[in-house]
Amino acid sequence: MAHHRAVQALGAVADLIVFASAITDPAVYDAYARPGIRAAAEPSSEVLALEAVGNVSRSNNLLLDAAAGRDDLEALVLVEEHVELTDHQLCAKVRAALSDRDVAVVGWMGATGVSSIAWWAGRISCGPVVLAYEEYGGGELPACAWTTVQRPPHEVDSVDGRLIALSPWAARELRFDEHLSLPFGYDLDFCLQVREAGRKVVTADIGAVHHHSLELVREHALWVEAHIRMAEKWDGRMPAAATADTDWRARARRAEAERDAARTLAYSNASHVEARARPLERELAAMIESRSWRATAPLRRLNQLLGGRF
Amino acid sequence: MQGDTLRRPVIAFGSAITRPEVYARSAEPGIRRAAEPESEVYAQPSNGSIFSNYNALLDRAARRDDIEALVLVHQDAEIVDADFCRTVRAALSDPAVGLVGCAGAIGVRSIAWWEASVTLASFINRYDEHGGGDLAAFSWGWDEAPAYARTGEVETLDGFVLVVSPWVVRNIRFDESLGEFHGYDLDFCLQVREAGRKVVTADFRAIHHRPLQMLPDPESWIAAHVAVAEKWDGRMPGIGAEPGSWRERALRAEAERDIARAMAHSKALELEARVRAARHAIAETRGSLSWRITAPFRRSARSPT
Repeated sequence: MAHHRAVQALGAVADLIVFASAITDPAVYDAYARPGIRAAAEPSSEVLALEAVGNVSRSNNLLLDAAAGRDDLEALVLVEEHVELTDHQLCAKVRAALSDRDVAVVGWMGATGVSSIAWWAGRISCGPVVLAYEEYGGGELPACAWTTVQRPPHEVDSVDGRLIALSPWAARELRFDEHLSLPFGYDLDFCLQVREAGRKVVTADIGAVHHHSLELVREHALWVEAHIRMAEKWDGRMPAAATADTDWRARARRAEAERDAARTLAYSNASHVEARARPLERELAAMIESRSWRATAPLRRLNQLLGGRF
Repeated sequence: MQGDTLRRPVIAFGSAITRPEVYARSAEPGIRRAAEPESEVYAQPSNGSIFSNYNALLDRAARRDDIEALVLVHQDAEIVDADFCRTVRAALSDPAVGLVGCAGAIGVRSIAWWEASVTLASFINRYDEHGGGDLAAFSWGWDEAPAYARTGEVETLDGFVLVVSPWVVRNIRFDESLGEFHGYDLDFCLQVREAGRKVVTADFRAIHHRPLQMLPDPESWIAAHVAVAEKWDGRMPGIGAEPGSWRERALRAEAERDIARAMAHSKALELEARVRAARHAIAETRGSLSWRITAPFRRSARSPT
C-alpha cells in the first residue's frame, strides 16, 4: 500500500479527506485515477493506493480498514481506477454533502426507484460525468446518454460504486459484503446497508470522466448471477421492490415477457445503429476510396511532415 | 355443372386492411405479382383485432369448395416471388401440412419466436427511418445463408405471410380471446399442430415494410406473451416452460430482463458514437485541402459527356 502523506496524530480535527483506490491495472490507475485524484485532492489529503485483492468488496474493505482508524477522517473517497476526477471543487462538494450528519454515502451518479443491481433503470441523478470510450476511433458522450438525467444533489436509493465518498461513520461501521463474490451489485448492497441503518445516500454534482466501453455491462452471465444473488439476499427488504408481486408464478410470467420485450428492443436499437450509421460509413468509404483522394495521398503526407499547416 | 367439376382449385389471397395506402404500396403489388388469373383476392377493410379479421377471411374462404389455399398477407407485406403459387402448391402437396410460411423456428417457448432457433427467415425489413433502407434476414439470399438455414417442418411461423391449407381453413380459427394482435401467429400454429397437422417453411420470399422498432406497444405485447404462455402451459411441450421453480424463474428472468435493457442502452450509445465518428471523418475529409482542390475533377467526372 502506498501512503502519500504522513499519518496525523490521534485526536486531530476531522478535516482529512482520504482518496483511495484498489489497483488491478497499475497503468490504468496511472493514466486515469491518479491524475484525477491529484487534481481534486487538497494539499492535506491523503491518497491510499493498494493492490486489489480478491473481489471488489474485499479490496474496498481493505481501504475502509486503512482509513477507519484515522481520528481526523472527514471523508473517504473510493475511486475506481478507470475514473478520472475533473472537479477541483470535489472536496468542497463532498464536505457540503456530508454536512448533513445523516448522509453516509455521496456518489457521482445514482438513482431512485432502484429495485435491482441495474440501478440505472431508476430515475437517474448524475453530475457532469463524461463517458470516454475507445470504440469507433474514440470519443466522449455524457454519462447515461440513452436517457434524461436529473442534475444532483438528490437523495437516492443507490449510487454507482466506482466513485463514492463515505462519511467517517460509514467507513467505521459498515463493510462491503464479501460474500457477494461477483464484481456487480456491491454498491447497491452497501447503499441498502446504509439505508437500513437509517442513514442517507445522496448524489453530488461531481465532474469526472469514466473511461469505459460503450457497453454498459460486458460480462452478461456473471451480471445475471449477481442480480439473482442480490435479489435473494434482499428479498422483501429492498424498499423499491417491497410492493412487487409476490405471486411467483405471475411474477415469473411477467418477467419472462418483459425480458423478451427488452431483448427485442435491443434488436430494434441494433437495427437503428445499422440503418443510421451505415449510410454515413458507406459515404466515408466512397470518399476515401475515390480516385481523387487516393491521388492526393502524397500531398497529405507532405502536409503532415509540414505539421499540418494546409 | 361440368364446368364446375373441371374448375381448377383456387389459391385465394386475403388481407385485413386498416391503412389502405399501406396495402396499396405493399401487399397489393405483391399479391398481383404472385396471384394466378383465377385467384381470388379478399381485400378486407378492417377494424378490431387481427384475430377477428383473419377469422372473417377464413370464413369467407371456407365458403368455397374449390379452395386450394388461403394466403393471409399483412397489409405491409409484399410477396416478391412470381412463382409463389407453385411453391405453395408443392408445400401443400403433403396433405398433413396445415400452414406454410417463409420464416419460422423450432424450440419455441413464447410469442418471441425469434428468441428460438430460427431455421428460415426469407424476408427483408424495408424501413423508412434514417432515409430508408433494407435489412435482409439471414436466408433472404441462399448464397449467403448460414448452415442452419433450411425449409421444412417448424414449430411456428412469422404470420406476416401465412399460407393456410383447406383443412385448416375449414377447421381452425384464431383465438379472439387472446387480445388484439400479438401472438396470433404462434397460437394459430400451436392449434394446427395440436390438431395433428404440420407447420412448414417453404422457399418463397417477402418484403416486410415496417419501422425498425419491433415493439411499439410493449405492454400489449407483454400481456399477449403471458396469455399465450398460460393458455398452452402443459398442452404443448416447451411453450411457457423454463427450468426452475416459479421463484427461480422470476428472479432469473428479472435479471435477464435488466441485462437486455442494458444492452439496449449500450446500442443507443453505440449508435451515437458511430454516427459521430463517421460525421467527423466526413467533415474532416471534405474540409481538407486535397479534397477541395480535386473537387473540379470529381465534378467533371460526374457530368455527362
